[in-house]
This record gives sequence, C-alpha cells and structure tokens, in this order.
Amino acid sequence: MTAKNIDLSVDFAGVKFKNPFLLSSSPVSNSAEMVAQSFEAGWGGVVYKTLASGRWPIVHPSPRMNPYHYGSTKMMGLQNVEQISDRPLKDNLLDLLYLKKNYPDHPIVASVMGFSTEDWQYVAKAAEDNGADMLELNFSCPHMTIEGSGHKVGQAFQLLEGFTEAVKKVVNIPVMAKMTPNITDITEPAVFAKKGGADAISAVNTFQGISEIGRDDWIPKPNIFGVGAESGYSGPAIKPIALHFIADMAKCKDLGLPLSGIGGIETWVDVLEYLLVGATTVQVTTGIIHYGYRIVEDMAEGLRDYMAFKGITRVSELIGKALPNLQETDHFDLERQGRAEYNYDICIGCGQCYIVCNDAAGQALEWDSETRRPKLIEDKCLGCMICSFVCPVPGLISFKEMPREWNRNETVVMDPGLEKELRYQPFEKVDLKR
Amino acid sequence: MSDTEYFQEMEKGIGLAHAIAEADRCLLCYDAPCSKACPAETDPGTFIRKLRLRNITGAIRTIKENNILGGACGVLCPTSKLCEKECSATGISRPIEIGGIQRFLVEYGWQIGFKVFEKAKERKEKVAVVGSGPAGLSCAGELAKQGFQVTVFAERSEPGGVIRYGVPAYRFDKKFFKNELQDLYDLGVQFQCNTKIEGKAGSEKLLNDGYKAVFLSPGLWGTQRLIPGPQNIQGVFISSDFLAALREERFEELGKQIKGKTVAVIGGGSVAMDCVESASKLGAKDVYLVYRRSFAQMPAEEDERLEALRLGVHFLVLNQPVDYLTDSSGKVNALKLIRTQLGESDASGRRKPVELKGSEWELNVDIVVEAIGQKPDEAVDWSPAVKLDKKGLIVAEAETGQASSKMIFAGGDIVRGPALVVEAVQDGKVAARAIAKALSKA
Repeated sequence: MTAKNIDLSVDFAGVKFKNPFLLSSSPVSNSAEMVAQSFEAGWGGVVYKTLASGRWPIVHPSPRMNPYHYGSTKMMGLQNVEQISDRPLKDNLLDLLYLKKNYPDHPIVASVMGFSTEDWQYVAKAAEDNGADMLELNFSCPHMTIEGSGHKVGQAFQLLEGFTEAVKKVVNIPVMAKMTPNITDITEPAVFAKKGGADAISAVNTFQGISEIGRDDWIPKPNIFGVGAESGYSGPAIKPIALHFIADMAKCKDLGLPLSGIGGIETWVDVLEYLLVGATTVQVTTGIIHYGYRIVEDMAEGLRDYMAFKGITRVSELIGKALPNLQETDHFDLERQGRAEYNYDICIGCGQCYIVCNDAAGQALEWDSETRRPKLIEDKCLGCMICSFVCPVPGLISFKEMPREWNRNETVVMDPGLEKELRYQPFEKVDLKR
Repeated sequence: MSDTEYFQEMEKGIGLAHAIAEADRCLLCYDAPCSKACPAETDPGTFIRKLRLRNITGAIRTIKENNILGGACGVLCPTSKLCEKECSATGISRPIEIGGIQRFLVEYGWQIGFKVFEKAKERKEKVAVVGSGPAGLSCAGELAKQGFQVTVFAERSEPGGVIRYGVPAYRFDKKFFKNELQDLYDLGVQFQCNTKIEGKAGSEKLLNDGYKAVFLSPGLWGTQRLIPGPQNIQGVFISSDFLAALREERFEELGKQIKGKTVAVIGGGSVAMDCVESASKLGAKDVYLVYRRSFAQMPAEEDERLEALRLGVHFLVLNQPVDYLTDSSGKVNALKLIRTQLGESDASGRRKPVELKGSEWELNVDIVVEAIGQKPDEAVDWSPAVKLDKKGLIVAEAETGQASSKMIFAGGDIVRGPALVVEAVQDGKVAARAIAKALSKA
C-alpha cells in the first residue's frame, strides 16, 4: 500500500472533515484571512475563535502571553490571558460567510460563549445562520476578565448542562462542549454536557498555570502593568496530562460521545497518540504559534506514511486502539521483572548513566575511569531504565526481561548492627499474586 | 572595518543563546574529560553544567577562581588540542564549543558587572613577580587572593607581556585584556611598569629589598637569528619587534613601510603566521612564508595555516634561507634561498630538511621578518643564584616552580620554552601555592 491511497478523512458528529487536523479556537483562528491561509496550508477545518454577542466589551490584556522555555528549547509551554474574540460579532459573521462561500469543503465549527441563557442562544443562532457547520461551547477559558464565565461555568456542572440545553433548543447543527482540565474528574462535566444534549466533547482547554515570575520585580508573567494572574497554560509540556483526560472520557461508558483532542499537539506522532486514546479530530494552537500553519504538512504526510507502513487505510481504524492496553495499575503482572541491558560497543563514555544510577537508582553501575566505560552489576539493576533516558546514544541501553527465577539483590542496609536498637513489630506480608 | 580598527579589535565572541545551545548539547559527563584535559584546571565540565542549570554567575566564578586569565584562555587556547579534543560529544556529532562558552561567560560577567573577587584579608609579606605575562599575572592573582602584597614588574609601559605585545590585536585586543586585568587591580596587585629587572643577581636584589619571595616569568624576548651575530640590515625585522610595533599602535608607520611591498616571513610557527597575516592586512603586495620543512611539519595550528593561505600568502616550503642581499644603501633587496628535500628523521622525530646542492636562488623582497624561534633575552642573566639549562632556560621543579635558589620561583616560557598561555597560567598558580606554603611555614 502506498501513502497515496490513504484517506485521512473522518466523520465527526455527523460532519465530514477531509482530515482530522483543526485549528482550535484561539489567536490562530481569529479571522477569515487567517483561516483561509490555514486551509491553503492543509488544515481540514477550523474551530473559529469564540464569538460573543457584543453586549459586554471584550478587551485583551497587554501583553497577553508568556513563554516557558527549557534551555535552548523554545516554548515547551505557553501561558496566555487572551480573551475570546474582541472583533464585532458582525465582522466575525461576515468572515464565516466568506469562508463558507470560498472553502465549502472545509467545515467551520464556531466557538461561542454567552453570559446569560439568552446570550448563549443569541450567539449560537447567529453562528448557525451564517454558515457554521457545528458549534463549540466555550465552557473552559480559565482567565475570562468577565466574572462567572469561562471555566467557572465548566466547573459548575448544572450551569454547563443548562447552557448546553438552551443552545440545543435553538440550533439544528451539532453542538460540541469544550471542557476545562482545571477539575478533578473530567468525565463528570462531560456527562452533564451530554445530558444537556451535546453531540461531541472537545478537551482540553488550557491549564491554570504560572509560567514565570519576574526575578527583579516578583511579578508573575505575563506582567500586565504590575499584575500577573494564574491563567491558561498550554503546549507540549501539558500533552501527557491532556491525553489522560481524553482517555478517561473515551473509556467512560456513560459518555459515549465523539471526542476532539486538544493539548500540546505539534507532530503526527502527537496526533496518533490522541487518536489511539479515542479522539476523532485534533485541534492545535500552541504548535501554530510556535511554527506556523505549515506544520500540518508534516502531520498529514507523517500520519499517511505511518498508516501505509501499518497497512491501515482509514483514520477511524486507529481511534481508541490503545484503550484496551490502558488499565489500572493493579492489572500489572508483578511476577515479570527485567533489567537494563548494555551494548558497550557503541558507548561514547560520557558516564551520565553512572551518575544517575548512583544518585537516583540502584547503584548498579561501576565506572572504569581508564577506559571511561560503565559496567552493569546485573543483579543490582532495578530495571528503572533512567540510565537509558539520559544516555545520548540511541539503542545502547535496552530493557531485558529476566527469567522468573531471577532475584534482584536487596538494597544494602548501611549498618545491620543497629538492629538491636530497632523498635517495630513487622506485619505479615500480603500476597500480591492473584 | 577600517584597517586601523582591524588592528585594534578582535571579532565578537558567541552570545547568550549560542552559549546556552552549546551547554544544552553538553553531555555533562561523569569525571569530565574536558576538565581533565585543561592544563590550568579551568574545569569546563563544571562551568558548563552551571550554565546549563542557569547558575550563570556560578559558572563565571568557576572559571575565574580556577583561571584568573579565563577570558584570555577562552580566546587564545588551541581548544581543539585540549579540552575539546577530549569532548565526549564528538562521539555523537562534534565537540562542544568550550573556548567559545568560556569567553562568553567571562565577557557576560563584565557586562552584568559581576565581580568574582573581593580583596582578601591582608598579609604583611611582600612578593615580587618579574614579568607580567600570563604566568606572572596568574601567580600574582593567586597570591593576592591570599592577601599577600604583590608587586608585578613589567618591562614595557603596560602589563601583559606576550598577550599584550606578542599577539596581534585582531587575535586578542586591549579592551578585552583591560577588563580581565581589572580583577588583578581589584585584588590589590601593584604594577610597576617600564621597569626591567636585569643584569646579574636581579632576583637576589629583590629579596634584599624586602620581598620575601620572587617569581620569575620574564618570557622569551630574545630571538633566534638567521645569521648569528650583530647585524643592522635595513628592512629586516625580528618577529617580536614587528608584532610589538603593531601592539604599540605604530601600525600606521609600519603600514607605510609595508603597503605595496613584497614581504617575506621566515618560520613555520604560530608567530610566523601572525606576522604573515599582519603583513597581508597591512596591504603588502606579496607575502611569502619561507619555511625549510614541509607544510605538514609546520608547528603552527592548522587553522592558522589555512587562514594564511586564505589571505593569499605564498607558502615557500622546502626552502632554507641562507643570506640577505642588500643594495648600496644597506637595505635588503633579496633573500637568498636554497631548496631542500626531506631526509632522515631528526631527534624531534620529524624528517630533516637536506639542502639540495646547486639549487640556490634569490627571492626579491623589500621587507623580511624573522620568526624562527624565541629564546631568553640575552640582556638578562639570572645566574648564578638561578640555575639555567644549556638553552638559557631557568631550571625549576615542575610541582612547585621552585628554582635552584630558596624563595626564587619561576614559570612560563622562561622555564618551558615556547608554551601555551594556559600552561603559563598553571605555572603561576603552582608557584603561588608553593610560595604561600613556604611563607606560611616561615
């Protein structure tokens, strides 16, 4: 099979997208001019920046973002206090009409937010009437300057259900509810949204975070003229946590709605992981803020080639495929144990493995300072594999399962002579075998 | 950049982003091989780790406490033969730019006004340091850190010796050096410039004047000559005079002599390369590098040789200069050469150039610079208190720098012969420790 035959299209809550890659509702989908460029670059659809009725003025704080760099790696994370669209509703609706007319095969999901039941209904209806193929209800912006909105609604489940229901009453297009991660169990609000009539769930919006504090003035950033705020943190740094929220919803039997995955997506590998834990579409902002719309070319090409290698023709064949392998930790087979295996032939002698094994693991390495090579004392190895995480040579350290009769050495007690001073009554051991 | 500026300033070093990117690439080795390879124990393994962990002031402190000329070494060290040669990252791609990081950190400290040193609790003992090159400055700094009253005697009008007067400014400039020197002033080191300690028994005289110890690091300011004995041929320079003239900002005067002329430089070491490069940049019409052995045998670093080629210098290898021809006014107008062929290996392990009979020829020249090796200044004689070897170098113990006379120590080129700045720094440190120990016992 060649990559050319691969069809990346997906059906999401009854709407057909040519690929699962969507802009999320954010600065990157602020106008038709921008969205049109993204469609030209290859994005399959857009969740257009959140529309509001205009009854309450929307003003973006200045400055509105702050990066979290890691060494010379730029933007591991990004914090923002950007608000929903500050453009007049009319201008946004004109832009929706423009996109509908010029890009009829690119579905438009309009993100909307209201500040009362009537307000929600007004904006939702306006979006539907001007070309939106689907709605996304913004229950999740963590830094709205208008009190009681955004994720405050997403954290108040009855409200969220009520607003969903109200919107559903006035529109015919599918309605997706966008969840906040600033909560303990995401399946709870998701199920409330379903009860309100939501057809799909998107998650996650940004995490409340503090990316940096000014070292001279002690003002958290972004520094809005002397004031910082806990606000929306996004980017690759939060991807593992976002994936967990998607997986939880995908496994939730009471939910059973299609999911749109959001959080730290930059590459086709990120997309694949979202699909494997149950997302049907994915949405991207921080990746575009970092690299531009062009990243979609690599997402599409990479995913197609991967599917060709795997002999998979439809994206739907990947959705949720990792879920059966994702279990509670009490399902682990603790009888099976392994250790690190070293291929000394390709070692370059940096010794980082030796440092971390000594300071953070089982002291299972010896160091030959003449040859600058580590040597594994196999029976002391914890199999934690941190040595392989710091090793700069790919494939040098691998995990090897050991026979069941293999016994790892117990960690040494510094002074067994202290036993006479020991005061404690040992428990009987619980048998872990089931 | 005008010619004048070119001769006053060196190129900019790497910046913060580049340094951090390099620190990110560093493998932060256990028992770091780069640190082991530094002759002056500057400890790149530690200062790069500190940079990586955003402890940038700590990184600067590590460099400067270990090597008070850390900035100079970051610029001048042949790192590809030292720390970077041992870098483990070479096994992945290429070595970390250690010299570049080191220079960056030192300059960054100046930029943010970070001071590593504060004046130590004073001790009453006075120590004299003869010569203000890298060995002398290092020794002075180390002793001053321990509170000793240190006076450095410098022969020329400013301190620095070979790094002030012996390398062209485009390799190591005055502005940079001034910043580095500030640490020594801050530590309370006294400089007595325009003062030559010479003649017999100069070091004993210092001891009699109340200095409790003397460190000798005058460097090598004498020069081997093509034709032994006194000569006064117009248009023939020795390399140390030629380079010092540039550093004393007499380059305009020198430029007038060289612009549009044919210049021949004799020698194959780093100093010869500095001379050909300078002559090229001063606008010589043709610059010849005359060397009796082969290109591959030249002691100069490969990048220096390639830079000279890039500047259009004509390399006349396998040619032995034998004599000067002069016009009626006594001015040189040709260099007499004889072609050579490599024969058997000599004591240094290199194949010896053998002159080809009957192959003499004459190269028309206007200016000749001899860069055929430095030796001790003949006007200075440290004996008999200080034992010399047959080359006139001071005999000193490697572990302490102790010369043959009590409380007289020595280091740098005057002990090692032509050596690296970083080696001289280490000599100064080693001797300072020995001096402090001896004075604490007394």
